[in-house]
Amino acid sequence: MSFAFDLYVDRSSWLHRLDPRTKLAFVVVSSVLLLSFSYPFVSAAFLLGVHAILWSGKVPASRLRWAWQRMWPITVLILVLWPIFYPQGDEVLWQVWRVRITTQGLWQGLGTALRVDALAFAFLVLLFSTDQARLVRGLVKLGLPYEWGLTLAIALRYLPTLYGIYATVSEAQQARGWVIGEGKFVQRIKSYLPILVAVIVTALRLADNLALALAARGFQSGARRTYLRELKLGPVDKVCLPLFAVSLIVFLIVRFRYSLGVW
Amino acid sequence: MVEDLHYAYPPLTPGGEQIPVLKGVNLRVQRGEFLALMGPTGAGKTTLCLTLNGILPHLMGGIFEGKVVVAGMDTRDHGPGEMSCQVGLVFQDPESQLFNMTVEDEVAFGLESLGLSSSEMEERIAWALEVVRLPGLRKRHPLQLSGGQKKRLAIATVLAMRPQVLVLDEPVTGLDPLGRHEVLSVIEKLKREEEATVVMVEQDAEAMMAWADRVAIMERGRLVLEGSPRQVFSQVESLHGWGLAVPQMSELAHLFNRRQGASFHFLTEDEACSALTGELQSNTQYPISNIQYPVSFEHSPAVKVEDLWHRYDDAPPALAGVNLSVEAGDFLAIVGQNGSGKTTLVKHFNGLLRPTHGRVLVGGQDTAGQSVGQLARKVGYLFQNPDHQIFAPTVWEEVAFGPRNLGFSEREVAARTTEALALFGLEDQADTPPAVLGYGLRRQVTLAAVWAMRPQVLALDEPTVGLDWRSSRTLMEEVTNLNRQGHTIILVTHDMKLVAEFARQVLVLDEGRALAYGPTRQLFQQEAILRQAFLAPPPITALARRMRSYGLKGDSLTVEEFYQEYMTLRRLSRRDEG
Repeated sequence: MSFAFDLYVDRSSWLHRLDPRTKLAFVVVSSVLLLSFSYPFVSAAFLLGVHAILWSGKVPASRLRWAWQRMWPITVLILVLWPIFYPQGDEVLWQVWRVRITTQGLWQGLGTALRVDALAFAFLVLLFSTDQARLVRGLVKLGLPYEWGLTLAIALRYLPTLYGIYATVSEAQQARGWVIGEGKFVQRIKSYLPILVAVIVTALRLADNLALALAARGFQSGARRTYLRELKLGPVDKVCLPLFAVSLIVFLIVRFRYSLGVW
Repeated sequence: MVEDLHYAYPPLTPGGEQIPVLKGVNLRVQRGEFLALMGPTGAGKTTLCLTLNGILPHLMGGIFEGKVVVAGMDTRDHGPGEMSCQVGLVFQDPESQLFNMTVEDEVAFGLESLGLSSSEMEERIAWALEVVRLPGLRKRHPLQLSGGQKKRLAIATVLAMRPQVLVLDEPVTGLDPLGRHEVLSVIEKLKREEEATVVMVEQDAEAMMAWADRVAIMERGRLVLEGSPRQVFSQVESLHGWGLAVPQMSELAHLFNRRQGASFHFLTEDEACSALTGELQSNTQYPISNIQYPVSFEHSPAVKVEDLWHRYDDAPPALAGVNLSVEAGDFLAIVGQNGSGKTTLVKHFNGLLRPTHGRVLVGGQDTAGQSVGQLARKVGYLFQNPDHQIFAPTVWEEVAFGPRNLGFSEREVAARTTEALALFGLEDQADTPPAVLGYGLRRQVTLAAVWAMRPQVLALDEPTVGLDWRSSRTLMEEVTNLNRQGHTIILVTHDMKLVAEFARQVLVLDEGRALAYGPTRQLFQQEAILRQAFLAPPPITALARRMRSYGLKGDSLTVEEFYQEYMTLRRLSRRDEG
């Protein structure tokens, strides 16, 4: 089991040093771009750009391979199925019975597949290069109440712990001759009961202790909370943010004023 | 510091009764003092700790009488938020108090709450991590740390807040010997170099005897005994009466005093050695017998392991070529540091893990091709944490769960359950939800539940962790009884006293390899092997070894054994003189 459900790779690069708020802005602008323009070349260019960013941001190739390994099944699925279920268009390449493959269908399939990949990578830029603590700090800085941010951070932190408890409890019940996940649907659901109850009871004990630990560390002591690492916008952030704002306006104008970008 | 303190927890159910825990505690701790707080489970030690920084009554309510004053601050007027800079409280469970993503953030959390500047924080974080000997791990995830490192980090998190008093609730419980040593040496350093005031709850009498300036014993919400370690630990009978452990050396002194009318009051091996050797003549040494591997293939072993390898994912092998043959009816202890492969090995016996290479045979049959369910009939496995198996609405249901899973008739299930409850003294709790019982009883329930399945082989994974001396004795005696009835017992533990007293064979694992395997008595003679696995024999064995030049065989496993051998020798040497 990996020690955390975390995509973050600790490196020292301009991308890692970028303020999480800037990267959040990047995700927003990219999403607008990708959702507005369905031309395959837009998504393709975006993907190329993102890979260049990740490469210069020292995100290891193994991470990118990992991402593509998870993405290619859905990519292939879209590439194959889209043309089959999109028979419109004049240029028929191939027809058997009622299945028509058209050039347009192929292009649309390619466009959609690339778009899905590109959207995923827009988020991955953020997740590969921002540790969860900084991400939560960014959200809090953008106005999320600190308690919510802390709750989110703690939830992320304890996911692997809960998974570990779940694994141990299933083993403990199996060792008592309990069979999990067999039989009909209802039976199968029921077979998880002895595990869930023990997991929940253990989790509640954990939560109780966590509350005490927070109190022992002066949580809500009344003092104004400070932070070890204040988020500060660096020179790169100061270039990026206005650039994002301008791009966002340009995208919207091109898309809606001139109705470009879609078939 | 604590004056006439009474405390009752609020009722568990609305309209229920208050649960009185502290019944008039008076306690003073001097600046720079190291106070050991000891007592059986349920005595109120943790509750007392929680009152010291105002968590009680501020966070939990309940009835609070008397007062607690720390560094001039009365907890009735100051909540845990303010008190946390005066009293650093470290809890027992490391998992719940390390809730950040990195070591650095973990230490910073308390300082951020205090509203310190980031340069001040930097300084304190660096200092605190230095004190607990964890510098260089700042960017690590707390989950990546070892048990000992987690506990030290937990200490650093409150240390950084510069409290006047450090309160540690069982900081070494559940750690392997190496982790214990790491944590204890940090606490010792704090005491020596930082002159910290420490209140430490601990079950281990040996460690507290060596370290504490003062020992206070709590029982049923009251302080019943207080004084220097020498004063307190010489009260062997009272301590045993309260269900508490006593250092082996005081136990030995007590034995001589009671049976021979001696007036020994030694506490350490050195003192014992000089007190006892006077009566003996220097003598020829017994040679240390070399370990003989128990190889007896004519019988069919209960568990047989042949060249077992196990590898999790891409990690280095957790088990690398282990061979083992456990006789039916034997009592085997598996020892070694965490990560040495103990649990991995035992999980192969009931099929929870499958060999990457090699074979495991239970009752002569290869476990390959048998499901976990099938193996559950033959091998019972008691998990370390009772809460990982407790789920049923009543104790009765909990115990009946296993036999029912094995497909026995309701009559048979009922018979077995009734018998199990009787055997483990749980009849009165039959209708109670097991989750609300105390830790010791929850442990008993899980043992009863495993026993009700009547497995030939019973594997116990650190069953005594978190139990006080009496509960852990009771448990071990029950296990010994099962062993006498013919059950093969496999015990995973870090407690060498238990191993010495109860196990007949010992397997020492180190980094997935069997470092040694043999009879307990012979194994505890192999100092080099033990040291390699960072293990040490119990104090009484160490003492016997030191006295080998006086004719002792040097292989005593219990205080009683040592006493008998010593008396025989003394009679002999008196006869020679006379």
